[in-house]
Amino acid sequence: MRGDRALAREIQGEIEKAIGEQPAVSVRDGIARLRGRFPSHQAAVDAGLLAAGFDRIRQVVNDLSFPGKMRFRTPRKVSDELTGCEFDVVVVGGGVIGLAVARELSRFDLSIALFERHNDLGMDQTLHSCAMVHPAIQADYGTLRWEMNHKGNAMWGDTASELDVDFERIGTLIVAENPEEEALLPYVLNEAVKHNDPEPELLDRDGLDRVEPGLASHVSKGVLIWNTGIISVFELVIAYAENALSNGVSIFLDTAVTGVHTEDSAIRAIDTTRGTVKARILINAAGLYADRIAQYAGDRFFTLHPRKGETIIFDKSYQPVRTVFAPVSLATEAQDSKYTKGGGIIPTTDGNLQFGPTAIEVCDREDVSTTAEGCEGLFEKFAPLLQRLKPDYEKPDKGKVITQFAGCRAATYKEDFIIEPSRKVRGLIHAAGIQSPGLASTPAIVERLREIVEEDWRPATDGAFNPARRRKVRFSELDLKTKDRFIWDDHLYGHMVCRCEDVSEAEVIRALHGPVAARSLDGVKRRTRAGQGRCQGGFCMPRIVDIISREMGIGKEQVLKSEGKSYVLSGRTK
Amino acid sequence: MEVDVAVIGSGPAGLTAAIHARGSGARSVVLLEREEELGGILKQCIHNGFGLEQFKQDYTGPEYAERLIQDLEETDVQCFLNTLVTDLSPDRVITALSPEHGAIEISAGSIVLGMGCRERARGSIGIPGTRPAGIFTAGVAQRFVNIDGYLPGRRIVILGSGDIGLMMARRLTLEGARVIGVYEIMGYPSGLKRNIVQCLDDFDIPLHLSHTATGITGKERVEGVTISKVDSDLRAVKGTEQLITCDTLLLSVGLIPENELSQQAGVEISAATKGPVSTETMATSVPGVYTCGNVATVFDIVDHVAQTGATAGASAARYVGGRLNGDVPHVDIVPGENVRLLFPHRYSFQGDLLLFIRAAEPVEKPVTVEVSPPGSRITRPYARPNEMLRVRIPGAKLAEVRHPLKVSIREK
Ligand SMILES: Cc1cc2nc3c(=O)[nH]c(=O)nc-3n(C[C@H](O)[C@H](O)[C@H](O)COP(=O)(O)OP(=O)(O)OC[C@H]3O[C@@H](n4cnc5c(N)ncnc54)[C@H](O)[C@@H]3O)c2cc1C
Ligand SMILES: Cc1cc2nc3c(=O)[nH]c(=O)nc-3n(C[C@H](O)[C@H](O)[C@H](O)COP(=O)(O)OP(=O)(O)OC[C@H]3O[C@@H](n4cnc5c(N)ncnc54)[C@H](O)[C@@H]3O)c2cc1C
Repeated sequence: MRGDRALAREIQGEIEKAIGEQPAVSVRDGIARLRGRFPSHQAAVDAGLLAAGFDRIRQVVNDLSFPGKMRFRTPRKVSDELTGCEFDVVVVGGGVIGLAVARELSRFDLSIALFERHNDLGMDQTLHSCAMVHPAIQADYGTLRWEMNHKGNAMWGDTASELDVDFERIGTLIVAENPEEEALLPYVLNEAVKHNDPEPELLDRDGLDRVEPGLASHVSKGVLIWNTGIISVFELVIAYAENALSNGVSIFLDTAVTGVHTEDSAIRAIDTTRGTVKARILINAAGLYADRIAQYAGDRFFTLHPRKGETIIFDKSYQPVRTVFAPVSLATEAQDSKYTKGGGIIPTTDGNLQFGPTAIEVCDREDVSTTAEGCEGLFEKFAPLLQRLKPDYEKPDKGKVITQFAGCRAATYKEDFIIEPSRKVRGLIHAAGIQSPGLASTPAIVERLREIVEEDWRPATDGAFNPARRRKVRFSELDLKTKDRFIWDDHLYGHMVCRCEDVSEAEVIRALHGPVAARSLDGVKRRTRAGQGRCQGGFCMPRIVDIISREMGIGKEQVLKSEGKSYVLSGRTK
Repeated sequence: MEVDVAVIGSGPAGLTAAIHARGSGARSVVLLEREEELGGILKQCIHNGFGLEQFKQDYTGPEYAERLIQDLEETDVQCFLNTLVTDLSPDRVITALSPEHGAIEISAGSIVLGMGCRERARGSIGIPGTRPAGIFTAGVAQRFVNIDGYLPGRRIVILGSGDIGLMMARRLTLEGARVIGVYEIMGYPSGLKRNIVQCLDDFDIPLHLSHTATGITGKERVEGVTISKVDSDLRAVKGTEQLITCDTLLLSVGLIPENELSQQAGVEISAATKGPVSTETMATSVPGVYTCGNVATVFDIVDHVAQTGATAGASAARYVGGRLNGDVPHVDIVPGENVRLLFPHRYSFQGDLLLFIRAAEPVEKPVTVEVSPPGSRITRPYARPNEMLRVRIPGAKLAEVRHPLKVSIREK
């Protein structure tokens, strides 16, 4: 089409003007495709973002090459054990979205399988998130991200109680430190209202003291957006998985999807590293690889660009704030340096404060390494702020940092979610580009996905569906009498394996059995918190290696930290 | 359950404290230990060099512990093993969990804290990079090798020159692993001189001072560690990075007294020593709560640890007997010239003052330790940050003191 060609030239011109490089650009059906050699990864990302800036461009496929570009390698097949299996629905991806949608669809009379490439759930974006249920004010008004965020946020209270997962609405507090900043508060209030955050409040000093005691005397006003929540992410992942399993979903770990077969432009079968299964509906919830799955199905219309976020976590003894703490100065700070862009001061349900996450474009989707710049940047940005605004509180100290981690966000160049049936392949449904605030949006995203399935396939409801899931007892939360009773029933409750988080041997054993069992030290840590405390496994690691070896019936030298060849030990001594 | 004295932790500090509490008149003493056996960290220190001072014998860690355990067995101190103390209240009620006894509460006339210390881990020193298998604190590696009989890896880089790291350099070499080097951020080693000689020099393992780790690579298992030089502000110097191929990184970067329980009881913690603010009787700021060993401050040698245990045990017994008052007058003890760390923090006029002093900077010639008032001067052949100085000031000399005692180390 002539219009497309003109648009392609326009995009090309814009990129050349801004970056000084000229890519080959083509446009079709609102999809821009970029090709050519670029000098750097950052330049290639910038070009994609520029193309996406055009209103008539719906998505960007970025095939620009640059030095150091990673080649994607399809994982090798390991067996044929699943060949011959047949499901109505296959979900690719065991992150929060894949698990939640699998559970949601188990309301219907459908056979459902979920495939996850890792040996545990949620290991990509979900577990590296900051576990915050954002208020909608942070999302661009009018985007799908905003719509899902404000709807999803409102649904979390019910969802978390159905699933019995820790969830607290602690609120975001935006405080002003001088008259100029105070003048901005009515604007903040308006924005919150406009974005559908319910009843934001303008607080005077008394109000501030109620929600965030101990503020410096120069802080006189603030806005509280109370619907901001924090959630226990791994508990949530396990909860969705357990509830899905009890409603008949099959979950396959260590199983990667490696190809999609279509017939007459409809989904027919799915290749996995454990064989080929038949299916009619394919839900693409593959996170950082959702563009790859789309490509397998012949529906390549977007490219993801991974954006890394680093977070630092403090010891529980350092809890200076109760709210997600966001002074006005954070939002108006003139120019954040590359390494300190983004992030916040965010408490967790476990009582460990976080600084983060940062936002840096990276070329490797598997890049979860932390950097000195990231840690320094976060510390230098937030520590002085806390010191100034909470002067009576203990000084933030790097010695109180217990760990640092990073994860990549699965961003499209449009920076919006893609939640829609494929326009090309019947039965293929995308839940792609689910970057932040994907967790906050989860209940709304899966509701939308359910509606799409209902509309296209009209499945019958499954009368036996039960949305409720109860969590296992956490021994450390019991009162003394009950603890005593538990120990008399099973003495392994009295054997404490982790002294920082008070985890008993009985709980570690429980984590190693059952339908979504831990298979590694990290798996045990995520399920029980053993090793997640201030000593970071110094005390419990040898003990848990023992228990894993015993319970899984493997030698100690075969015990893994996470997966692959991550052996903890390298053999016996002489 | 009610007892006169409860001791938490059965390392050399706790064992000695229990023995001395009973020996000094406490009628009922219990010892609570979360491990299966008594002895604390000593059980995994299978090298020798323990007890030279106290028993005039060259014991291994387990042998040294065994001596103390034998002494303990001659008393009627009741030991609770596999028993983790989870809570401690200011009015000295202990909550503990054990598979054998269930959830128990013990109300004690006085308490001795002997919980030892833990090792600093990667997070608190912030080494960037990936998070693969193969990163251990030296003590965890020591446990794997000496107790479980497993090797943590084959090509090993050790960060930090703490004693446990030095011991492990030798041990792992003897087990056939290759220790590529020990890298220390400071300009001087933190471990004892004799350990540098016996564990590194004798095995041709290089010690690189003023170096630190600035990166870890490897996705599943450690594949390499980046090492950089540091400047005088201890910041990594750009351009000096070198990637060392290895499969294991051991951290021997410091010990932290384990005072979470002490804090629950409301004990005041010193920012300098990271342990309870204590007097020469090992009294903390909470009446009836005493401290000893590495939970009080990190000592270099076990004999010092045991010495504080003896004092704490005797004081705890005197307290329940009404012979030691919780709220006594005292003067502070403050650091002067070239002093980084001092223990105890206060003098309360209960006899001799045994002072443990760590120098800020090494002085390789004779020094005088000056305590003023009363103006005592004690000579030592040298002062090194990695070897605590110990001096005794007779109580008689201190009786008239009314001002803070200032401690300095000066070249003679
Ligand atoms: C640093 C950081 C901080 C964040 N903080 C927040 C926050 O505070 N609040 C919030 O709302 N959101 C946050 N997010 C975003 C949030 O984490 C994501 O939106 C959400 O987790 C997306 O879930 P998902 O299931 O789509 O993706 P993922 O969790 O990435 O799951 C996708 C899964 O698919 C699997 N997979 C991929 N390819 C295949 C294949 N071929 N075969 C089989 N399996 C495959 C992957 O292994 C992965 O487990 C954050 C993200 C990051 C990176
Ligand atoms: C990992 C490590 C390795 C070491 N290796 C050496 C070495 O090789 N050579 C050397 O000379 N020195 C070594 N040391 C120094 C050594 O700690 C001291 O010399 C000495 O053991 C300290 O004695 P302690 O009694 O104060 O502490 P520890 O020996 O540590 O004893 C403390 C005891 O308290 C128990 N405990 C703690 N908290 C609780 C609780 N809540 N409830 C119940 N019990 C509790 C612990 O299980 C432990 O048994 C090492 C220290 C550490 C931390």
